[in-house]
Amino acid sequence: MPPAVKEKSKQAAHARPPALPKRTHKTKFQADLAPSEDHMVRALKAELQMSSNSDFLSDALTLFRWAVSERKRGHRIVSESATGERKVLLFPRLERVAPEVTLPHVDIRWTDRELGSLAELVSCQPAEPTEALIRAMRR
Amino acid sequence: MAVTIRRLEEFDEVAGFDCGDEPLNNYLRRHAWTNQQKASIGVTYVAMDESAPRTVLGYFTLATSSVPRDRLPKKFVRGLPPYDLPLILLARLAVDKRFSGRRLGHALLSEALKITLRVADEVGCRCIVTDAYPDKAGWYARYGFILLEGAAASGPQRMFLDVRTIRRASSFESSPAKR
Repeated sequence: MPPAVKEKSKQAAHARPPALPKRTHKTKFQADLAPSEDHMVRALKAELQMSSNSDFLSDALTLFRWAVSERKRGHRIVSESATGERKVLLFPRLERVAPEVTLPHVDIRWTDRELGSLAELVSCQPAEPTEALIRAMRR
Repeated sequence: MAVTIRRLEEFDEVAGFDCGDEPLNNYLRRHAWTNQQKASIGVTYVAMDESAPRTVLGYFTLATSSVPRDRLPKKFVRGLPPYDLPLILLARLAVDKRFSGRRLGHALLSEALKITLRVADEVGCRCIVTDAYPDKAGWYARYGFILLEGAAASGPQRMFLDVRTIRRASSFESSPAKR
């Protein structure tokens, strides 16, 4: 037996009885799938040689989490063929986490009367929001 | 129909877009992507149905701008901070006529105003302005846009909405009548 292992064994003899392994809490995940989606899941599991739904979900989650983190950093997800043809993944839900682009600056032409009207409006108390505006700003 | 609004991407399908107004169609088809990606003179946001995530149903374009303080009339300048006046320009907003009547215009304007508020919070802006077609000015007025004096009688009407008004609207959880 190598010395390091011996030492460990000695320590173990004086140590408290080993604690029972922690029971990890597992959450059940149930989903209603359309027949076509169910078929897709089965086909993917077969293709990837996976037998359990848990493993399938775990891998899918890992992939999805990676995609979200990439898009959050502003990176695009691209596939490239052997001939160099590139396709950018466009997934509307992922676009929600992508950072906003700073808006570019443009010059606008103003008439003197428009500027007068603008200056008057910004220097007075703001108008109360309309019902339509309140509805538009709801999440 | 589950609509998502996001920034225009290079391979979005814009060729079939038809809002019934050729300059607005033409802008989306020919200039929006170039202006966004290469010239950086406007960012276009598009509405898509999740079932066809590349087909553009409607769009709007935003840019920032500012008015030099020395161009504003002196009698109003006194009450304003000593800087140029930063603002957001809602340069275009259009909905494909095949999808009109589904409140896409409301969804697009809503998103434009939310972005305006985010920009105001992050880098500062005082108001949003747009040049509305005369027959659309009433629609913008429903959201609180105010017509600026001095617009040409027949051309687009410049309209204004204060960021403070937008911010106040976003603070309402329910209708003001219930508060």
